[in-house]
Amino acid sequence: MSSENTETRTLALANSRLDATVRGLIGRAQGHGSTVRMLVILVASFAFFTALQPAIFLNPVNLQNIAVASPEIGVISIAMMLAMLTGGIDLSLVAIANLSAITITTLYSQLALTDPEAASQAMPFIVLLGIVVGLVAGAFNGFLISRLGITPILATLGTMQIYNGIAIVWTGGSTLYGAPEALTAIGDVGLLNVPSLFIMLLLIAGGVGLFLKSTSLGRKALLLGTNPVAAKYSGINSRNVLMNVYVLGGGLGGLAGILFLVRNPTASAEYGSSYVLLAIVIAVLGGTNPAGGFATVWGVVLATITLQVVFSGFTAMRLSAYEYSLTQGLILIAVMVIDQLSAQRRQNRGLGKRKPLFSRKERNSA
Amino acid sequence: MSSLLSNQGVPSIINRLRGANNEGVLLLVLVALVLTIGILNPVFFSVSTLFSVLRGAIVPLIFALGVLIVMISGGIDVSFAAIAIFASYTTVVIAQDRGTDPGLIVIILMALFFGVVLGTFNGIVIARFRLPTLIVTLGTMSLFKGLLLAYVGSKYIANLPPSMDSLSTEYVMSIPQEQGTANLNVLVIPVALIAVLVWWILSRTMFGRSIYAIGGDQEAARRAGFPVVRTQLMIYILAGSLAALAGVLHLILGRAANPQDLVGNELDVLAAVVLGGASVFGGRGSVFGTVLGVLLIQIINNSLILAGVPTAWQQTAVGVLLIVGVGIQAISAKRSSKKLVVTKTLQEQS
Repeated sequence: MSSENTETRTLALANSRLDATVRGLIGRAQGHGSTVRMLVILVASFAFFTALQPAIFLNPVNLQNIAVASPEIGVISIAMMLAMLTGGIDLSLVAIANLSAITITTLYSQLALTDPEAASQAMPFIVLLGIVVGLVAGAFNGFLISRLGITPILATLGTMQIYNGIAIVWTGGSTLYGAPEALTAIGDVGLLNVPSLFIMLLLIAGGVGLFLKSTSLGRKALLLGTNPVAAKYSGINSRNVLMNVYVLGGGLGGLAGILFLVRNPTASAEYGSSYVLLAIVIAVLGGTNPAGGFATVWGVVLATITLQVVFSGFTAMRLSAYEYSLTQGLILIAVMVIDQLSAQRRQNRGLGKRKPLFSRKERNSA
Repeated sequence: MSSLLSNQGVPSIINRLRGANNEGVLLLVLVALVLTIGILNPVFFSVSTLFSVLRGAIVPLIFALGVLIVMISGGIDVSFAAIAIFASYTTVVIAQDRGTDPGLIVIILMALFFGVVLGTFNGIVIARFRLPTLIVTLGTMSLFKGLLLAYVGSKYIANLPPSMDSLSTEYVMSIPQEQGTANLNVLVIPVALIAVLVWWILSRTMFGRSIYAIGGDQEAARRAGFPVVRTQLMIYILAGSLAALAGVLHLILGRAANPQDLVGNELDVLAAVVLGGASVFGGRGSVFGTVLGVLLIQIINNSLILAGVPTAWQQTAVGVLLIVGVGIQAISAKRSSKKLVVTKTLQEQS
């Protein structure tokens, strides 16, 4: 019992450190309210389920589970956020992640069959190949969207079918075993009881946050999403920016595929089929404007953890997955309605300028 | 540049055959596909194949007509499958609870009622709060499916009310074949009538024209005096009722009610509508193109195997077709906008 207590305490300590870091980052986020709001929702939902089911919910195993389940969907949601930031969407991310996981598993298990020694030596390169698969898939998305001018939703709807179709043909519809053991081993390690997967999520989020804040491409992507016409007239090559954003998104998708394998050493074409919707819910919940221009990485990370907390809370209260799906839909619609109402109120007070929430024409001409 | 100029002399008859939304091109693709499969495997050219493709197109076509209406208005609806299964499954559960068969008309009216209610919910959220349709309907899809499975039921129902069940073996036409008979299900008649009805609404009524107007430019439509919010609400109610009807027909044809069904297969319908020439930006699309698009996807899903393509490639094939289809549209849109500039500058010079 006491050991559990110390574990909880260390987790709480790590949590509070994390909170401090996050708050520091929020301070620099140009007074963006969505991250703060998300933090409040996270703390509130955590407190809510703790009050209802303290024994089950505060159990270290449960907290560990939340930390282990969040990263893969978190990384996919961050990639989704990047696409939404430019006013687009990427429906093919989960298919890309699965393709990456399948590539790694197939190559490694085949090499391990003939020469286990060489397989373990080549392991890092094989894992890197997963990211390359993601980058290539993302580049194809980017080509269709930025060069041919296909609408992101249709382009990625088509490539999702293609990537997923390739995965089905490749695996024959079955689940593959034999992912690199070293990857699974990484998943078992942790720092101060914080699972390594969760640390990876924080590192990736930090990297993407830095990319958006401090690189020219990141700033251009933000501007492109805010106002494509202004971006065009300020000399931004929107085609290149879009291309790079989708390549980066694909790379993150490939990375998510590696995280799949770290968490669970199997790969299949069917894995994470509910993640496409979930990633959109998380991105919007995390303060991403679906019309482009607004997004915070930390808002997305907090939204990811919040939804995992709600999910495990539901499980602790013995509610079904169906009720979770229902709640997901409700949360998504409620958040958008509340956002819209508060935007209208701001507008009525004359504090904010009128900005169309979802202007398709503008985006099309970009 | 010279090739662009020579295009100016294209006879208008070709443009007319091509159709407003490239329906003619799609028809050519469809004919080419049918011929290719038929040459690779003559078995394809049979009445039973034709009837089975038509039977398979019944449910997707009604879905597609609902999606078409929404897409012309500038939106994207992905909640139709969830509405369909919610309305039809709930209706069957209610009918089962009563013990007696309420009759087909009552069943359809009940399903339509649920379709209208769920469609109204979509419409209110989208029209009143002016939210992005894709994300709203993704949310309501999850919401409706969760409601159905958590509170209505998650059990597979094998025995439908007799009035529904008997309809699955009613045939409008039976042609004896070498092996057995080829039967055309009677449900193709109401589906054809609905397609004509939707065509009439879209092209001959004020409501239909206002759908195109809103999709073309919402702000312009509003200033021209179209009741945008009311029309949008009506669009989603209509789409909801079409989805509910499709759900009932799906249960009839499948002779069972599975609440896990339908949701997850939305993409084929979306692909069919987009291939049919409808624009996701709204303002463009036709019933004829949609019918062709649905038939194209049906043939790929049902008959590609006859041409020696393994079923595992189906999904990839639909994806490639979608990319090629919208890619051609995107490129030709780009080219025509360039052409406009070129001819303008040439006129100025001369």
